[in-house]
Amino acid sequence: MNFTLHIWRQQNATDKGRFETYKVSDISPDCSFLEMLDILNESLINDNIAHPVCFDNDCREGICGMCGLYINGRPHGNDDGVTTCQLHMRKFDDGDEIWIEPWRAKAFPVIRDLVVDRSAFDKIIQAGGYISVTTGGVPDANAIPVPKRFSDMAMDAAECIGCGACVAACKNASAMLFVGAKVAHLAMLPQGQVEAHERVKKMVCRMDELGFGSCTNTFACEAECPKQIKRQNIARLNREWIKQLFAGNHKPSSHLSNH
Amino acid sequence: MNNKLIKLSSITKKLLVALFGTFLLVFLLFHMCANLFILADDGGDAYSSFCHFMGTNALVKVAEVVLLGTFLLHICLSVILWCQNRGNRPVRYQRPSRTKTAKGSKLAIITGSLLLVCLLFHFYDFYFVKLNVVKGGNYMVKTEDFVISDPSQEVSEEAQIIVMQAIQDQKISKDGRWLRQLSHADKEVLQECFPDAAFEPDFYNTAREKFSVWHIVLCYLVFFFVVGLHIRHGFESAFQSFGLNHYKYSRLIEVLGIVYTWVVCLGFAMVPLCVFFFK
Repeated sequence: MNFTLHIWRQQNATDKGRFETYKVSDISPDCSFLEMLDILNESLINDNIAHPVCFDNDCREGICGMCGLYINGRPHGNDDGVTTCQLHMRKFDDGDEIWIEPWRAKAFPVIRDLVVDRSAFDKIIQAGGYISVTTGGVPDANAIPVPKRFSDMAMDAAECIGCGACVAACKNASAMLFVGAKVAHLAMLPQGQVEAHERVKKMVCRMDELGFGSCTNTFACEAECPKQIKRQNIARLNREWIKQLFAGNHKPSSHLSNH
Repeated sequence: MNNKLIKLSSITKKLLVALFGTFLLVFLLFHMCANLFILADDGGDAYSSFCHFMGTNALVKVAEVVLLGTFLLHICLSVILWCQNRGNRPVRYQRPSRTKTAKGSKLAIITGSLLLVCLLFHFYDFYFVKLNVVKGGNYMVKTEDFVISDPSQEVSEEAQIIVMQAIQDQKISKDGRWLRQLSHADKEVLQECFPDAAFEPDFYNTAREKFSVWHIVLCYLVFFFVVGLHIRHGFESAFQSFGLNHYKYSRLIEVLGIVYTWVVCLGFAMVPLCVFFFK
């Protein structure tokens, strides 16, 4: 298969950047999108044409969340429920023109070419996406009862790999699906419920500070999430937020002053 | 206060937009039911009595202020959110998005802005007339206000002509309670002679006049197409913002939203169509 690639090239964070056009030929339909870029980079290096195209990747099994390209107007390209590394060239037609852009968001500045800085997600997690109670040794499986449905829902939410496709797809560059998934999977388990109110408050405030937008319920995030995280997680986030607003609704009486 | 609105968390702002939006949805249904009185085959008596109630009741006046505030806050918060959201992607994508999104959701700010413009026209024709800011349309007055208690009171010839003419043109309502379809100039003349008479806007005849012009009818229908798009998104969206989303009920909420949208839009659209074609 042959393709014409229009790839965003940008030297560094301050460079203005532009599209460069490259042609690749004899690509196997079973090639993954990143393998196709590897072949391009090899030819760029061997023929001494240009600096290879920089892009993020790691496991190439669709589970690490490192890769992420905005391909022909869709994060992770024209396939549902896959990351860029699991997108195969058979999803394209021979001779296609392919436009490749980095994630675009104020909170995800471009580092180089197609690589963006997603540490804003880490900062949201650092704000509250964890459990700070001492958990001790590994408890017996039956020691803490969790309803099956809740553990399933928590697992579904925990599937989020933090790739940032939700932010990339959202017209407001909102991270609500990501934060929703992270808040939801902890809020549904007993260990996470202890700090649920504090967590949602801190994570949402951090999300706002970092320059992510708000949700306008277009659900572009749900359509593009490679792990198919559901919009119900955003509703749960809203619910947890409302609970948090009314949590601690009376002043605790002081034990000493009563006597 | 404005500063406080901006500083609210993104989710709280969304919640408030949804809350005020829900109130407006309820109001819209009420307004539609009221409009259907125009279609009653009683020469507008029911509608006039209803307008009289709405124009004079003290509780309604309080509700009016609440409603106006709701509109303003719904709009202000949406615009603040829109401005903040726009800034979150300083470098935009070069290729247009091909992601599938919920119906009407991306258009909400555009349909909303269009509605605001149309609403100002609507206010000019009806609400501002009621507030006596705009002098136009038709007026009505209770016939009992014309009983002359003081025989020495002078009634000008001009006023007599207006009343005689009105009786001749059958401008008295069927139940005999109202003298209607008075122009603003007529109203001024009569008011000089009968200073105690309480004149009210005659919305029944104003609406009929408006809806007998084809391009106003067309604009009105387009207006409610836009309303439809806006609330088709708003109805479901409000539930989501309140955190009320459950796989068991989401289909029900969607169907309710569609039914609500069609009922309201068809209900409103029926009035100008019936007036234009049958009255």
